[in-house]
Amino acid sequence: MAAAFLPLTLSFARRELANRFAGSLSGALWALLQPLLQLAVYALVFVHVFKARIPGADAPGYVPFLVTALWPWTAFSEALLRSTTAIQDNAALIGKVALPREVLVVAVAGTSFAVHAVGFCAILLVLRASGQAVSLWGLAPALALYVPLFALALGIAFACAAIQVFVRDLVQLLGQILPLLMFGAPIFYDRASLPVRVQGLLDLNPFTAYADAFRALLLGHGTLDGMRLGIAVAVALAALVFGRWLFRRLDPHFEDFL
Amino acid sequence: MSDLLVEARGLGKAYPKVHRSSDRLRALGRLLFSRSDAERVSVLRGVDLDVRRGESLGLIGANGAGKSTLLKLITGVLTPSSGSVQVRGHVGALLELGAGFHPEYSGRDNVAMAAALHGLDGAELRRRLPEIIAFADIGDYIDEPVKHYSSGMVVRLGFAVIASLKPDLLVTDEVLAVGDESFQKKCVRWMQDYLDGGGTLILVSHSMYHIQKLCRHACWLRDGEVAMAGDVFDVTQAYLAWHERRSAPVEASSSNAARHDVEFSVLDMSLDGQPGEQPLLQDRGSPLEVRCRIRSREGRVPAVAVGVVRADGTPVYGVSTDMDGCAPERVGPTEFSCRLVFDALPLLPGSYTVRVHPLDPEGVRVFDTMERSLTIRGATREFGLVRLAHRWIHPSDTVAP
Repeated sequence: MAAAFLPLTLSFARRELANRFAGSLSGALWALLQPLLQLAVYALVFVHVFKARIPGADAPGYVPFLVTALWPWTAFSEALLRSTTAIQDNAALIGKVALPREVLVVAVAGTSFAVHAVGFCAILLVLRASGQAVSLWGLAPALALYVPLFALALGIAFACAAIQVFVRDLVQLLGQILPLLMFGAPIFYDRASLPVRVQGLLDLNPFTAYADAFRALLLGHGTLDGMRLGIAVAVALAALVFGRWLFRRLDPHFEDFL
Repeated sequence: MSDLLVEARGLGKAYPKVHRSSDRLRALGRLLFSRSDAERVSVLRGVDLDVRRGESLGLIGANGAGKSTLLKLITGVLTPSSGSVQVRGHVGALLELGAGFHPEYSGRDNVAMAAALHGLDGAELRRRLPEIIAFADIGDYIDEPVKHYSSGMVVRLGFAVIASLKPDLLVTDEVLAVGDESFQKKCVRWMQDYLDGGGTLILVSHSMYHIQKLCRHACWLRDGEVAMAGDVFDVTQAYLAWHERRSAPVEASSSNAARHDVEFSVLDMSLDGQPGEQPLLQDRGSPLEVRCRIRSREGRVPAVAVGVVRADGTPVYGVSTDMDGCAPERVGPTEFSCRLVFDALPLLPGSYTVRVHPLDPEGVRVFDTMERSLTIRGATREFGLVRLAHRWIHPSDTVAP
């Protein structure tokens, strides 16, 4: 079974990808078009309506500042939301075919990350071409940063997908919690613009370390904090181990509750 | 060759009782933090099953007896609540209608997914795809979403995928019934080739014809337990007999006290000299002797009728003394005895009831009934109740001198 894990995951990922763009005329082109359109909306609203500025003399423009943290967040939150129902949505399949169920979660979470990582690269290149100070040297380590972020997402997704089988309210709850986490991380604002007392609280949010690191790598905004990053990687691994343990533990009982 | 492919020991499955959504939360807590189980509905208990390579096993039983659950446990879709099941080798399963197809995707996409689920890589799939499409024989529908398929087409496609995989163990659940006649024949032919080639089969079907045609062994599940297992003919006959008995109208047997008040009553009867209520087991085509003693209140000579009915009450044959122009023998002032012999009983294997009735001397009115069960053993695929004498005419015979 282990040997078939990867091709099976790819098959499901391909289906998930086809699902997302099913019925659209340009198919996979939307994967690139969608983030660009979204970016245009954010630029309009934040820069021209809210007149948002990042404090500091050599601060980056607001749009690259937002993009570098918001896109990884979108991948993260979307992966969680979509994969939470991965088991429930495939109840018919699970009831009739024996398969390693982890595949379903990995495929959905992986597809979200793949789509948004591609969009991320595309946007950064567009920003760079339009004269923003985006470091192309930072792109490779930034993509590497997606690895622990994916591990974190996958760990939580395993746990959520397993629990969702039993408690169907989880996905609703998650839909409420994720925006809170988004605003509780320095995505739309800079850590420095908060009162000093509150700044420490930000580190409780698992995404904070990633937002800061992405900006340090790509925009040279702030410094790369090795300690924080190390903790973030450790947390991601712990989440993955715990999520998988929980999933494995509940896996034999899925059929009874689906 | 006789290595065990499936080995189940004390296999059981129970589903948790979940009525409200709060039950689900509680169930989750129990699963995570303790081992104690809540209220459960047991659907399968203590099943021991061995399937050897090259064996063909038919699973039979009434609806809800646990057949599908057992198959799901064997294929690994379900996890046993008790006991264990070990399966060696590659299993191809066709469980229920749909076989895990996604309704929104085309037949072709679903075939690709099914192939991936069975561990086939892309190149292997491309090689086998024409063969699968040819076997399914659903024409241009292969590129339509599966939701537009008729149930027969879904089964065709599902079976075609499994057929191309040539698994070590094929498990199918009552799917033949959906296909049309020609596809059923195709499937049966394929399964026979597969079995001849050393394949192993577990087949669930309500068609005893298919079971007897394809399987050498059978296992009868009743209320989640193995009621009988062994040779396919023995098991299917016992199963059918049970069904016939179950559907037979319950006849209120007249009480003994009332019996002695009537003018004629049966004192006792025996089959082949075996008294008591035990059913008689007999091989097909052997002779049967029915004996009975009749009490006649006024000492008048009764007529005696003997009838054979199938266990569900379908009459097979009936005859009486007055029809044949003979009379029972007087053995006492109010007692008569009667012996009837069928030299070679042509009943087909199954369960039957032999009835004895005393009639008035004119052979018009029935006064009493006594009956004994009779089970005919034997292996045959002939249909019906009795074997009619017959012979096939070959063209070559007419040419012969």
